[in-house]
Amino acid sequence: MSLSAYRTALLTLLSHYRRHPGQLVMLVIGLWVASALWSGVQAINASARDSYARADALFSQQLDRVERRDGQPPSHDDFLDLRRDGIPVSPVVEGEVTLKDGQPLTVMGIDPLTLPGDAGMAAGQRSDTLTDFLRPPYRTRLAPETLSAFPGGTNATPELVSGRELPPLTPDRTLPPELAIMDIAAALALLDRSEPSHLVIAPEATVTLPDTWVRQRADNLAAPGQLTDSFHLNLTAMGLLALVVGLFIVHAALSLTLEQRLGLLRTLRALGVTGRALVMLLAAELLLLGLVGALTGIVSGVWLAQWLLPDVAASLQALYGERLGSELTLPWHYWLGGLAVTLGGLLTAGASTLWRAARLDILALGQSQAWHGRFRRQLAAMALAGSLLWLTTTALWWWLQQQPPRQGLTLGFVMIATLLLGSALWLPPLLSAILTIAARGLRHRPLAQWGLADLNLQLPRLSVAMMALILALSANLGVGSMVGGFRLTFLDWLDQRLVADLYLRPPAEKHGAITDWLTEQDAVVTLLPTRRSDTQLLDTQARSVTQSVGLYGITPEPQLRERWPLLDTLADDDPWRALQAGAVMINEQLALTTGLSPGQQLTLRTPQGPVAFPVAAVYADYGNPRGEIMLTTTRLTDQFHAPPGAIGILLTPKGQAEIEALSDALGQRFGLGRDSLTDQKALKQQSQAVFERTFAITRALNGLTLAVAGIALLTSLLAQAPQRRRQLAPVWAVGVPRHTLIVTGLFQLGGAACLTAVLAVPLGLALAWSLVTHINVAAFGWRLPLHIFPGQIATTLTLALGVTLLAALLPAWRLRRLPPRHLLREFDAS
Amino acid sequence: MLELRDVSKSYATPQGPLSVLRGVSLQLAAGESLALMGESGCGKSTLLHLAAGLDTPDSGRIWLADRALDAMNEAQRSALRRHRLGLVFQAFHLVPTLTVSDNLRLQARLAKQEVPDWSVELLERLGLAKYRDHYPEQLSGGQQQRLAIGRALAVRPNLLLADEPTGNLDERNADDVLALLMELVVETGSALLLVTHSPRVADPMNRCLRLHHGRLETIEP
Amino acid sequence: MRFGGFKRLRRFSTSRRLWVALVLLALLAAVLLLQQRSEPPDEDSGNGYAGLGEDAMEYAQAEPSHSLQFPGDHGPHPDYRIEWWYLTANLEDENGEPLGIQWTLFRQALASPDDEDDDSDSPWSTDQLWMAHAALSTPQDHWFDERFARGRPGPDQQGQAGVTTEPFSAWLDDWQLMSRDRDSGDLDSLSVTARGIDDDNTFGYRLDLTAEGPLVLHGVDGFSQKTADGQGSFYYSQPFYRVEGQVEIDGEMRNVSGRAWLDREWSSQIMGPAQQGWDWFSLHLADGYKLMAFRLRGGGEDGGDYLSGSWISPDGNVTNLDDDAIELIPTEHSEIEDREIPTQWRLRLPGQDLDVTVKARHPDRWLDTVFPYWEGDVTVEGSHSGIGFLEMTGY
Repeated sequence: MSLSAYRTALLTLLSHYRRHPGQLVMLVIGLWVASALWSGVQAINASARDSYARADALFSQQLDRVERRDGQPPSHDDFLDLRRDGIPVSPVVEGEVTLKDGQPLTVMGIDPLTLPGDAGMAAGQRSDTLTDFLRPPYRTRLAPETLSAFPGGTNATPELVSGRELPPLTPDRTLPPELAIMDIAAALALLDRSEPSHLVIAPEATVTLPDTWVRQRADNLAAPGQLTDSFHLNLTAMGLLALVVGLFIVHAALSLTLEQRLGLLRTLRALGVTGRALVMLLAAELLLLGLVGALTGIVSGVWLAQWLLPDVAASLQALYGERLGSELTLPWHYWLGGLAVTLGGLLTAGASTLWRAARLDILALGQSQAWHGRFRRQLAAMALAGSLLWLTTTALWWWLQQQPPRQGLTLGFVMIATLLLGSALWLPPLLSAILTIAARGLRHRPLAQWGLADLNLQLPRLSVAMMALILALSANLGVGSMVGGFRLTFLDWLDQRLVADLYLRPPAEKHGAITDWLTEQDAVVTLLPTRRSDTQLLDTQARSVTQSVGLYGITPEPQLRERWPLLDTLADDDPWRALQAGAVMINEQLALTTGLSPGQQLTLRTPQGPVAFPVAAVYADYGNPRGEIMLTTTRLTDQFHAPPGAIGILLTPKGQAEIEALSDALGQRFGLGRDSLTDQKALKQQSQAVFERTFAITRALNGLTLAVAGIALLTSLLAQAPQRRRQLAPVWAVGVPRHTLIVTGLFQLGGAACLTAVLAVPLGLALAWSLVTHINVAAFGWRLPLHIFPGQIATTLTLALGVTLLAALLPAWRLRRLPPRHLLREFDAS
Repeated sequence: MLELRDVSKSYATPQGPLSVLRGVSLQLAAGESLALMGESGCGKSTLLHLAAGLDTPDSGRIWLADRALDAMNEAQRSALRRHRLGLVFQAFHLVPTLTVSDNLRLQARLAKQEVPDWSVELLERLGLAKYRDHYPEQLSGGQQQRLAIGRALAVRPNLLLADEPTGNLDERNADDVLALLMELVVETGSALLLVTHSPRVADPMNRCLRLHHGRLETIEP
Repeated sequence: MRFGGFKRLRRFSTSRRLWVALVLLALLAAVLLLQQRSEPPDEDSGNGYAGLGEDAMEYAQAEPSHSLQFPGDHGPHPDYRIEWWYLTANLEDENGEPLGIQWTLFRQALASPDDEDDDSDSPWSTDQLWMAHAALSTPQDHWFDERFARGRPGPDQQGQAGVTTEPFSAWLDDWQLMSRDRDSGDLDSLSVTARGIDDDNTFGYRLDLTAEGPLVLHGVDGFSQKTADGQGSFYYSQPFYRVEGQVEIDGEMRNVSGRAWLDREWSSQIMGPAQQGWDWFSLHLADGYKLMAFRLRGGGEDGGDYLSGSWISPDGNVTNLDDDAIELIPTEHSEIEDREIPTQWRLRLPGQDLDVTVKARHPDRWLDTVFPYWEGDVTVEGSHSGIGFLEMTGY
């Protein structure tokens, strides 16, 4: 065939869309939506990965940390003493400053001259860079995206709340976002401190530290990689769901366009177009559509990602302490990948179309095809495939039960995917069976019977939309109840943990004086001093380190004991008395990773050597990625030399006036800034705000998936409108008025949607159950109770019905406006 | 132009194999017209499909324009169809989404042998000129069949195969269409193999054969 | 308990975040500096070696009228931009194997003392950059290490690096050159220590230095001219050290003895804008004479090289050698780190009837430090024999 023959044939194939633009719109929308959500999620992931890559760039050269045993920050003299002893430590100061516009910025001060590593230092740079870095006005090094957020870019002179100015800004591609690096002298001045936070040393440096110092091995620090991975896996799963739902639409649209063009295809074959040429042309058509859909999708995806990214960044920062730029940085392979996934998905959705075109029986010219017989067989195949998937789900569930709780995240998602897909596949056979049975029972109500039979007839075309709907609904229900349950639990837990009315963070040197002064105040009922430190958890033989853990010292006053959220204790023992007596409590994360439970013992490294502690209880510690061990502040001070930390203050009476008075007095007497004092209410508000942002993206994606399902439904209905006319004409001809037909149609669809939604409820609950019992534990390290929210379920069902009726309204309206002669023509044609 | 030699074809049915053609031989010279008659289901259409290379015989050979169909692959048969054959069906098989004008030119364009003047003339003579930008569904049955004939003749085929071309038309329309068809066939020098059950339609043909129990019988005019 | 606002409670016990970021610092520094490191010095640049040719108008200028005062001038001169305490020693172990060591402390001012920018009294703020190099060579091998420190000026200021005069002590971290006599401000009896790591090899030394002759002032009472148009530095040496001590190579100790040479030099501008580098000889001749000679490439009359030197008699008398009195011709080059380095020289002093070949014991004595240069032990053969050190920069 000549090129022009191909062109003619392709134009002939495409002419179909000129007469049926609705199908084209449906196809492109399906592709667009699928591609947009998927690429949006991938854009976020790619951007985050770029941030992590910069953060991890030199993990091979991670530095050990050298700290004073007494927890005091190292002084300049300490630093000199160590250096003069030949111990090559380097000072680092880290802190947070607040910019004039309220944005926080992490500032890190370094001494480039002593910082270990290949970087060594380069004392006398030929250019002025080093001198600029070391000397006033100094330099602030920032990731380019952080820098460009300042109006004026490199010329900006950002001012802090404290009135100080950041040193002149210079971009540095290698830095993670929202971190400012500068000379230690500049950073100390900016942070208003006189001493570094700690010292660092090259891991390979073999030195003997004086007794008063302790070295924290870099490789003992928990890598956030795995945790952020799970977050991104969550996102990816969500994006994949959207992609699948979108591809459902595409598949439906493609089947429809093929079916309507079967005659055309046969005619073309009869006119001398080869079968291979036809398949190639159809593939070319797919490719063309795919490119349009993918490109628009990717562009919208990037836009979507930009919209969601601030929330994602906030979530990651809150959950894992990972910095993420608020600007997208997309590598070239992102664009290619987005295109490939969309085209691949399209090809998957279109493969059956191509296959059918390739096997086209040209002698069947003019015969109407036996769609319904095939649909029966298809239903059987769906039921079979669905059962197989369910079987896989069960097998996976059984296998995961055997695994340690914090593993198998990916398999957990696979389990959920098979559950959802299996259920989606079972939906059409189930609906068909229900309709057949119901139609039998309605012999005496002919119109209703006809309605059900007719709905069964529509099922082949509606089934894909209904499958999309059940996926979207169950995801909505599942994620909704997970988030809702989490919120309930979290708020409850906040109430329990935030016992004090005020939290004060005094500077170390004034700690004693402030404590003494507070004790004398009439308004102060109780002080709850806390301390924090780190150590290593040893194996039972106290030989090797299993992981590094946080130590948290609390003061178990009655007010605190009453409400502290304990998850697991020994039945016949008061855990608080045990704590006083030297036992420890561990957080849920640590219990899950180590399998420790109350009554067992754990061994910790202390300055005095390994010490074994009995475990008295497990407590809930939502949002903490690390394992943590809680003991009394006194014990933490004595045994681990932990530095003084925040003090919780219980007041009476608990009024705003008292809080104001106390904070004023502290400010005047000890020169404490307002930010060293936080009241409980503000703390709760902040926590809740972060919580809401954390799940904003989940909600957004969920809502979008439901919208996609709505679009699937609408497009299916629009696409089948001409066929509907053919089915309605005889009924109309035998005397059923058009408005009755319309109302029946709305009932049919509403009924189908309700049925689907009702079936989605148990599926959604199964999903929620998998999320809280498995995915959450694997991804975040804590378990949540399963909450069921009937109100939420009702809302979702109503929403489904609403979406369906909304989608049904347009075809119904068109039917109403249809002149009767068009219905008459249906008889001519046949 | 067309030669069938000892062609047999049977189909599998639930009641066992059904022999449709049993050793059929037939010759059709260039410019000749032949009517193939027989009751419905007697295998007329099968013979037509075989002649068009749409289907293959169980035994026997078929030559089309001096080329043996069984010696050709699918692509060659398609090309032959495109360039040398015109097909007219009872149910028209127009492309509903192309205009009248585009439908008429479709095969000629696929074969890359469109003669624009001839297409315009065909439109005129088929009485479709004023509907050139309409879609097939906006035409009457007779007009649609005329368009289908126009599509087949736009390539100036060596052989026109017509399957009950007037089967869907009323008598007057059928006469008009048939007259037009004969006129154009003679003009283009195409051979014509026309399948019909109606003696009235078979009448103007040079020859007339009847297919009966899978064998051909000559009918004297 | 990291969720949400709780984080603020423990903002101070900083998390892993810091670690993640910390790790980046090395990268920062690398980018800051290493881009310079891999490039050979720019031949055409007027900046010359290590910024030593940079304009230094805000600083005090070395001028001939000044007379040196000791022990004060053993200490740092923050008014001047650059300064060094530069010790080399030619040693032998008990088996007669020749060894070389180098101990160098450089000071560079980042700002002139009257720079008003910095009113901070923080011990972390800096206006002096200190750099120390330690090297040890055997006939086959050469190990070196470098250290840096920030500092405040002033002889009494305790810091990570610095120099005090009474008693004399120069140090960076645990690398020290100090008087063995606690009450003495002179340089007659010193000890020097350093330990370093070069590619997993540890090396170190602890040596006692005893001067067997007086300090030697080069040029005009210690003002050593470096360009034809009169720029120069203050420059004196103690070339008469006898050395006893120990060196350590990968944990193995060796007793060593030999000769050492200490150079002291400070200036605000050692090289003129047109000079690219120098070749510097400090030689112990077998007859007890010492020879210091250098060639600054460029900056001489009519753009030629500028040569100068001191012929030092065994009792410390100095004969200044000017451009006409020295002849220096590279006779063999070696390719080291993609550079053509002259590793054998013909050195003639017509006035002293000296005509010798100076040859590196090993061509690869390249110090691939942040400012790379060649520094190594040499042998002298010809009309005179001897040992010594050669330093070559700007290649």
